[in-house]
Amino acid sequence: MSARTRWVLARFGEAEPLLAAARTLRQAGHPSLDIHSPFPLPGTDEALGLSRSRVPLMALCGGLAGVGTAIAMQIWMNAVDYPLNVGTRFLSGKPNMVPVMFELGVLLSSFAIFFGMMGLWGFPRPHHPVFEVEAFRSASVDALWLSAEVKAEDAERVAQALRGSGALEVEIAPEVEA
Amino acid sequence: MSPPAAPAAAARQALEPPPLLPAGITDRQINDSLLDHVWNPKRGWLTLFAIALGGTGLLVMGLGVTLARGIGMWGNNVPVGWAYDIINFVWWIGIGHAGTLISAILLLFQQKWRTSINRFAEAMTIFAVIQAALFPLFHTGRPWFAVYWLFPYPSNLGIWPNFTSPLIWDVFAVSTYFTVSLLFWYLGLIPDLAALRDASTSRVQRIAYGIFALGWRGSARHWHHYRIGYLLLAGLSTPLVLSVHSIVSFDFAVSQLPGWHTTIFPPYFVAGAVFSGFAMVMTLMVPARKYLGFEHVVTERHLETMNKVMLVTGMMVSYGYLMEHFIAWYSGNPYEKFVILNRATGPYRWVYYAMIFCNVLVPQTFWWKRARTSIPWMFAAALLVNVGMWTERFIIIVTSLHRDFLPSSWGMYFPTWVDWSIFLGTLSFFSLLFLLFLRFVPAVAVTEVKELRHELAHEAHAGGGHR
Repeated sequence: MSARTRWVLARFGEAEPLLAAARTLRQAGHPSLDIHSPFPLPGTDEALGLSRSRVPLMALCGGLAGVGTAIAMQIWMNAVDYPLNVGTRFLSGKPNMVPVMFELGVLLSSFAIFFGMMGLWGFPRPHHPVFEVEAFRSASVDALWLSAEVKAEDAERVAQALRGSGALEVEIAPEVEA
Repeated sequence: MSPPAAPAAAARQALEPPPLLPAGITDRQINDSLLDHVWNPKRGWLTLFAIALGGTGLLVMGLGVTLARGIGMWGNNVPVGWAYDIINFVWWIGIGHAGTLISAILLLFQQKWRTSINRFAEAMTIFAVIQAALFPLFHTGRPWFAVYWLFPYPSNLGIWPNFTSPLIWDVFAVSTYFTVSLLFWYLGLIPDLAALRDASTSRVQRIAYGIFALGWRGSARHWHHYRIGYLLLAGLSTPLVLSVHSIVSFDFAVSQLPGWHTTIFPPYFVAGAVFSGFAMVMTLMVPARKYLGFEHVVTERHLETMNKVMLVTGMMVSYGYLMEHFIAWYSGNPYEKFVILNRATGPYRWVYYAMIFCNVLVPQTFWWKRARTSIPWMFAAALLVNVGMWTERFIIIVTSLHRDFLPSSWGMYFPTWVDWSIFLGTLSFFSLLFLLFLRFVPAVAVTEVKELRHELAHEAHAGGGHR
């Protein structure tokens, strides 16, 4: 097990000081930072140094897998395993394969997007240490929060630094049994 | 640019549309007002629910009789082998198209007015597709066998679905559409469910919404993937909407029957679907905004814009009718000509004139601002369009079948009481699902309204800007 960590939470009134505080903390060597807001806040990706999302790649792979499955399925079922001869037309490679190719492509691509995101987020995860702080409930209503997972002995120091950078409220989440 | 003179500025202000959100509203107020209907059920909800539940009994009875005695209880028979089952299927699935259209296409076009109605319309889509799916499922007579008739399931009969048939494309299109719409809806709902979890006052509510929110913390790492994922789903859903109703129209267009065998069917069906879907959104939204007290987010401007969309899609549908008639004459094919003539003068002519009145004439009133902004009229017009689009499907399906090439095989179709109870039952079941939605889920995308508020505030801050 790694060293014990604590979650420090800070509420900000405006986006600018929040982003500035995130940048400062990151430069000070605290990598596990996060920003919580009720709606997507511009500038957070840059402040937290997040790299490009992998979701589009997942969508592409899902889509290609769907189209490939549809081609293989239709050829195998209607031309190989049980050849379906309708008026001596070609058994496979016909335009009528397109609708199922399109639909399966969209379906698997959507699955890749949705379940891929669930995987990236680690969902479902109904509980998280930050929920131990009652005031944090405003994060989904109308408040902007910064969270930092730091070593237990650093918690007070980080909290102090956040108070100094314009946070309206700073709390250290109580420890929970891991 | 020279600074505008005072009269010009005043004139511009007069042209400026009314705001999408009331001035000075805060995120907390948005949150409280839009979630209020979940915490404090509105008066009369239980009564409405009981009525819808009673109506759903009709559906259960109709389907029960169908299963017990067979599909001979329905009115369709040679020559009209397809009737209420497919009329209602196409009607419901058409209604189900506005949800994804509003959500996905308007998102891609960055239409800001979408945020107040998209959740509502998406829910409507899902519930409408459920009604639609009942018909093809039960018209098989033995739905428990339908799995291997419809889906490529390796049964010991050793046969597979015929992928040259549009009916099998339909299976793939409708099931994909339902699944993707559900994922799109749920993804949009997650942040709002988290808001519900965090605004809840009782432990039970907190746990229940906490489970459905899946652990959403509004984290930048969540939003990072969410933004692009939501956009991609919208991008996939847009061609999906168009494909689904095109494929539904192939059920008809691929056949040889006069009145069905036309190339205009796919775009004409898509336009009709969007038209009827918007009409259904209006039918539900006009009373619901009053009932839930959402006049501040679903403003008159939203309603007027929707009426403009109804006018445009109504004219697309009218163009479809016009082309159908023109091609019947221009093709020189006597059977095609007869079908159109028979629609206007045959035994089902009253349905035809009802269709022309409801779908062609009624939306034309929306050229006038007074009609576009009159709440009673827009509600009446939306209802009429719903009726009109149903009669359109009746016309396409029944009149084409009942008199085809050979006069000796002509016949008439009349629905039976089982047909009616299933149809009315689906209307009730739809209302039932919708009432449950209004009771337990935020009916307006709260998160997106907050985001819109910030965008508008930012624009106003950046120097007036247009909205």
